[in-house]
Parts: sequence; C-alpha cells; structure tokens
Amino acid sequence: MPGHVIRTLPALACLLLAACLPATTSVAPAAPEESTAAGSATNSAATRSGGILRVGQNAADLGSLDPHYASGTQDRALVDMVFNGLLRYTPGDATRFEPDLATTLPVATTSAGTQTWSFTLRQGVLCHPSDGVPAYELTSEDVVYSLQKAANKDTSAYASDYAGMTFANPDPYTVTVTLDRPLSPALFYPRVANYSGGYILCKRAAEKLGLDGLKTHPVGTGPFMFASNSPKEKVELVANPAYFRGRPQLDRVEYEYVADLNSRELGLQSGQLDVIAGVQDDKWVDQLASTSNVKVDVFGVGEVSTIYFNTTKPPFDKLAVRQAVASALNRDEFLALYGPKVAHKVLSPVPAAFMAGGLSEAELRSRGLDYPFDPNKARDLLRQAGLPDGFAFSVVTSEMPAYRVIYESMQAQLARVGIKMDLKVVDHATMHDQIRKDVNPVVVYVAFRPTADAYLTQFFHSDAIVLTGKNPNTNFAHYDKIDEPIDAARTNPDPAAQATLWQAAQTQALADMVAYPIQYTNQVYARRSSVEYGHPLQSVIQLYPGIDETTHITP
Amino acid sequence: MLVRALGQRVLLAVPVLLSVVTAIFLVVRVLPGDPAQAALGDYASREAVEALRGRLGLDAPLPIQYLHFLGDLLHGDLGTSMISGTPVRDQIAYNLPFTLQLTLLALLIGVLLGLPLGVGMAVRHGRALDAIGRILSLLGVCVPAFYLGILLMLLFGVQLRWLPAIGGGSPDDPRAMASALILPALTLGLVMMASVARLSRAAMLSALGHDAVRTARAKGLPERVVIVVHVLRPALLPTVSLLGVWAVALIGDSVTTEVVFARPGLGKLLVGAMLQRDYTSLQSVMVVYTLFVVGINLLTDLAYVWIDPRVRVGGP
Repeated sequence: MPGHVIRTLPALACLLLAACLPATTSVAPAAPEESTAAGSATNSAATRSGGILRVGQNAADLGSLDPHYASGTQDRALVDMVFNGLLRYTPGDATRFEPDLATTLPVATTSAGTQTWSFTLRQGVLCHPSDGVPAYELTSEDVVYSLQKAANKDTSAYASDYAGMTFANPDPYTVTVTLDRPLSPALFYPRVANYSGGYILCKRAAEKLGLDGLKTHPVGTGPFMFASNSPKEKVELVANPAYFRGRPQLDRVEYEYVADLNSRELGLQSGQLDVIAGVQDDKWVDQLASTSNVKVDVFGVGEVSTIYFNTTKPPFDKLAVRQAVASALNRDEFLALYGPKVAHKVLSPVPAAFMAGGLSEAELRSRGLDYPFDPNKARDLLRQAGLPDGFAFSVVTSEMPAYRVIYESMQAQLARVGIKMDLKVVDHATMHDQIRKDVNPVVVYVAFRPTADAYLTQFFHSDAIVLTGKNPNTNFAHYDKIDEPIDAARTNPDPAAQATLWQAAQTQALADMVAYPIQYTNQVYARRSSVEYGHPLQSVIQLYPGIDETTHITP
Repeated sequence: MLVRALGQRVLLAVPVLLSVVTAIFLVVRVLPGDPAQAALGDYASREAVEALRGRLGLDAPLPIQYLHFLGDLLHGDLGTSMISGTPVRDQIAYNLPFTLQLTLLALLIGVLLGLPLGVGMAVRHGRALDAIGRILSLLGVCVPAFYLGILLMLLFGVQLRWLPAIGGGSPDDPRAMASALILPALTLGLVMMASVARLSRAAMLSALGHDAVRTARAKGLPERVVIVVHVLRPALLPTVSLLGVWAVALIGDSVTTEVVFARPGLGKLLVGAMLQRDYTSLQSVMVVYTLFVVGINLLTDLAYVWIDPRVRVGGP
C-alpha cells in the first residue's frame, strides 16, 4: 500500500469527525420566537436554586400535545404541566375536585329542563408567551373557544363528552355551560377539569399555531411553559414566572423519551434522571427501593383489567359457558403476576377504590356475584351447557405485557377445565384494530375511565357495541340489557341515587356474566430521594406523579 | 481513470437505490399496526381513527401512495412525521451528526486499538501477549454491543460516575457532547477492535511467512525495519479494504447502541418511528441509511482503485 495512503488516513478520519460536530446553532426544530420567549424565562430564573427535574418516560416520542387529542400517558403528563382546567383534581387525589381557573366549584341551576353551570374566572391569569403571540390575560373568550374546540369532533378526540352542551361568555370573567340534559356534579366536573377535553387553550396562540402546530407546541396557562421539542429525544419545559399560583419551585423540566427500561434505571442510578416510569411488578418495586437514594412510588389511579365475553359468538352466547369460564379463573393467580403492592382485586367493572358507583367484594359476595374460583363448578356448568369435554377458541393479544401475561395466565387456567385457548400475539395497535373488528370472542381490556358513567357507557351501553352500535366503541360483549339504568343515572343529579343506579346496572351485567373484572394495577414511578412532588400520592388521573409548582428538589 | 470509475459506480448505484427504496416502501406498509390508531391512542373512537387515516392519505391505493412517496423523494422532500407533524428532514438533520460522530469515533477506536493489538499478537506469536490478545478479541467478537454497553454504563456511569450513562449532550455544549460520546463509541469501538485485531494478526502472520521477509532478514536488516517495511505494509491492505464493510456494520450496530444509551441519532429515530408506526419517518430514515451504505460502498470501491493500481474498472 502506498505510504501516502497510510499517512492520510488518520488525518482524514479527524477531518470527518470534526465535520460531524453539529453546528452550535443546530438546535431542535422550534420557532425562534418561542425559544426566545421561553429563554427569557430561563434567564430570569437563573438566579433561583430551583433546579432541573429530568423525567425518563417509557415512550419513543410524543404523540400529540394538543390536550384535546392527548391520550397516552407520555402526552397527558406534559399537557397537565402546561394547561389548566376550569376545575382540577386535587393534586395527588383524583377523588376530589377544587377550583383551577374558576374561583369556586359551580352549582347548577335548572330551568325548563335545561341545566346551567356558571363559572367565575380568576382575574390576572396569563397565557404563556408563544411564537408571535405575547403573554396576555386569559378571559372567558379563551375558555369558550377551548370548550367549543373540545366539543367539535373535527378538532377533538373527546367531542362526544360534550354533546348537548352550549357555551357562552356573558362577560370577560364569566362562562356559562348549558346542558340539554342535566348532569350530576360527579359527571359534569370531570368534563371541565384538567383532563382530556377540559384543558383550556389560549385562543390567540391556538389560532396562530393551527391544529398541526398545537401537536408539538402547547400553549396554556399552567406552571410550566413549552420551551423546545427534540423529536424522539425530549421536550423541555421552563417555569412560568407569572403562574397564578406562584412561580414554580423548579426552573425547568426535561421530559426525556427513554423507551428502554435498563437505560431508565441506569439513568436514575447515575443521577442523570430524577424520576422514571417503572414497571408494574412488585419484584421491580422491591429491587429499585433497595437502591440507595432512590424511592419508589406505587399509586392510583389503577387501570382495570376486565375480560369481556362476546355474547353473540358461540359458545359464549350461553350463560352457563360464561359462568363456567368465570368459575375456572382464579383472581389470586392473576394478582400473583404483579404482586400485592401493584395489583389489587376488583370485582365490579367500576373500581370502587377510585370512584362512586363501584361495588365492594362484600357487597358482591352477599349477592352471590363474586364468582369465586371453583373448577368443579366450572366443569359442572360446562356439562350443563353440553360441553363436558370443554371447547377451543382463539384470540389475538397485544405484545404488551399488561395484556399478554393476562391472556397467558388465562390460557393456563382454562386448560385445567378442558378449555383450549389459542393465542396469537400481535403488536398493540393491531390488537386494538382487531378487537374493534370483533375478531376476539373474548377480549381482555385494560383501561382507566374517570367516571362510572364512562365505564358503563363505553363498555356496556348498546350504543357502544363494536361494529354495530350507534357510536361503536368498546362494548365487546354486545350487551344491551342495562341501557336504562345507565341513561337514568347519567341525568340523575342526586349522587346517592346515581350510585345506586350504577350499582344496579353492574349487578345485572355480572348476573349475566358478560364481563369478569380481574384487578386494577397501580402506577409505578421511581425517583431520586431528593425529589419531592409537593403532595401526597394517592391517585393521579393523568397516570403520572403530578409535577406542579410545588414540586422541588431538596439539596 | 478515477473519474471513469466514479461514473460507472454511480450509474450502478441508481438501480440499487430504486430497488431498495421500493422494498422499503413495501416493507413499511406490510408492518402490522395502524399509524392512525397509534397516533390517537387507545382511547380514540373508530370514527376519529378513520378521519385521521384519511388526513394522512392512508386510505389511498398503495400505487398512488408509492408514486407520491417517490415523487416527493425525487424532489428531496422527506415528508412530515405522521405522528408529530414535524418535517422529517429537520429530525434527520438534528440526529444525523450524533450518529456520524458515534460511528466515526468507534471506527477510529477500533482501528487505533485493533491494529497495534493485531500486530503485537502476530509479532509475539505463541507468547503471552498473543494468548491474551486472542482471548480479548474472541470476547469482543462474542459479546453483543448492547451488553457491553450496559456493562460500561454500570462501571463508568453508575459506579465510578466518570462519564454520563445515558443521553447525547446538548449541541450547545461541546464538552457535554464529547463526554456523552465516549461510552457509546467505546462500546462499538471495542467490538470492532476485536475484528480488526483478529484480521490484522492473520494478515501479519501470512506476511511474515513470505520469501521477501526471509530475504530481508537474511540481508541483516534490523527486525523493526523488516516488520514495518516488509510485513506491516502488505498486511494493512486487507484491513484498510475492509474499513468500508466495518463502517456499514457499525452503522447497523449504532441502532441498538443509541437505544441502549438513550442517545439521539438515526437509530433512535428509526426505532421510535417503528414503535409509533410513523411510516413517513420510518421510510425516510431507512432511505438515509441506504444512501449511507451505498455511499460507503462507492467510496470503498474507489479506495481500491486509489490504493491498488492493479484494480481496474472492468478488470478481472
């Protein structure tokens, strides 16, 4: 080989490396003005000792930061830090509400069959500055714009929650919501709280950004302001110095997408991450909790895992077969997959631990609807159904552990009574697509819904029957026997009577054994011991620990 | 000669690129999962999913989608992410330097460590250095890059805390970027070092047996001169000629390394796009990878012509 080649190679390599250094101006895609606006806030906060909170989330990237489309935990968490609702769930406790942008919890007035809720807005609440739109005071015009957007199916994924509502702003600090059909506070408050369609956008910024812009550039009134987005890497938020509850104690939040669990753990242990999404497994909880300077939080709200039987597909069209399957299943065996810290038994479709309308184990046992594990009874029921040798069926499952392990455990348990279940593992999105096409005769679904009405309407009302319902949703059982109590409860303003109706509906559904609730699984996050969220963690509806103006890092 | 060779290789690369791009388009489409469902999440209604499919153009026939894709590509338009709506070109521009830094530094580490080790092993053939070197290089070949990466993260990131365990550093802070580069580059570099050491050892041993070496020794030349002039030079040729192949392999390994180190780069972009069923980002990143592989092969071919005048276009 010629000598000049050998001599040239190292120099060439150095040149190439140097050429690969990103230019200092090469930053993540973000509008210059937005960075400036956020940057000024960072500079003004430079003298404070709030620090940076680095969160490692189990996701590849953001989905949508338009709050009216955000549905994944990775998006809901960010949206929650940037936006407010008229009301909010008490931080760390999803069972209570308190005013947010409104000054008080409203009381409804009813006249000629219509119900009106009136909100008085806080004064002096400022929208974050954004690209070409300086900070300005949020008024009723913004609130009405936002609620109308949430109610429009072309601009919101949650439009159906606002059907029959009209919004008005008689003056800059008053908003009225008029309903065709009255709702109880338990059902109305979640629609105007800091969740899904209830988040309030700033009209001028939203109009300037457009629907596509909102996906990656949220502008609200919350404790943190959007600063930058590095796709597939991280989103940076900075403290909102003008936040109406006071300047956040943290200077910045770096929300990093770290899909690999090992990387998140090592990031936490090396001090590069302060908070990480964990694993819903007691073994993982114990292992991380034993690490020095690390605390693990296990908290609600828990996502409920329920098995739905398609009552139109043989042999599940027979009550005895459905009851046989229920008797063949052992909840304790499912729970053992996660451990007692993370998973808790639930016997009614609405989890009594988190909301009104659920039924406790004792209540269901007294009604004979707790379906205890009894394989002999399962075999008897199969004989009664004319299937003494059992039967076989096949289902698709997501590759996600939350689904796959339940299906696999179910497969093993059913095999003991002669029922053969074939499993086909597909990716998560495909499973959702397939179950909505009614492919599975038995569907496992893991979900949290904010109210009993949402659970019952989406999973048991005839309008929600997959494929054939008026508004096809997730009624995989094709069940249509409890529409009346669900509808009656929705419009009953008396909380006690409402809860009784919900319980009656579930009693009927369980007697017909169209759904077998298994457990709810809590959220698991680990943090460095120096991180304090600022509130006790019992339940957070956005499924993350809740980072707000009180969250801080102790020295 | 070089210009003619370049022209011929570029012409040959066109059909290769077109075939690969078509294959990428088709493979991405047959992947299970719906981008619209993935974008809207589990809570979205069927109606909302269908509406988004329409907006993304996913309800158009496949040939129409292909023609749009090809047309955009020819105009240099890599499209916008189906999930976030950000231009894919911007995403690639941000992430590409991270991948280039990683692969080039790893290549440098692999060559600078592997070559002397291989030479030393050959010169000390059958002695302790040779035995230790062979064990090390065998380990390097056997241990997967991601596993070695985790070990290095545990040691230098968690236990000693000398270097960051995860992340890529900010482009505004070259020092942070440099320190974040060391562990991932070392991971890939050590794996490559093993291959370089094994190959250069074998090439050196082969060259040591040549008549020219025996003659040089018989002439009384000092052993150092014999090794450098009569052994090292001919032994380096296969090593240098395989640099292109190793560079391509490193680009492949960089995907897992970037994911393990939660480091920005094309690999992390690719995996993220796959998880989110982001067709546009996925196919565009794969096209960029293809361009790299074709480009590196082109450069390797040209390097042959440059290094070894016996290699001629159309030659045997």
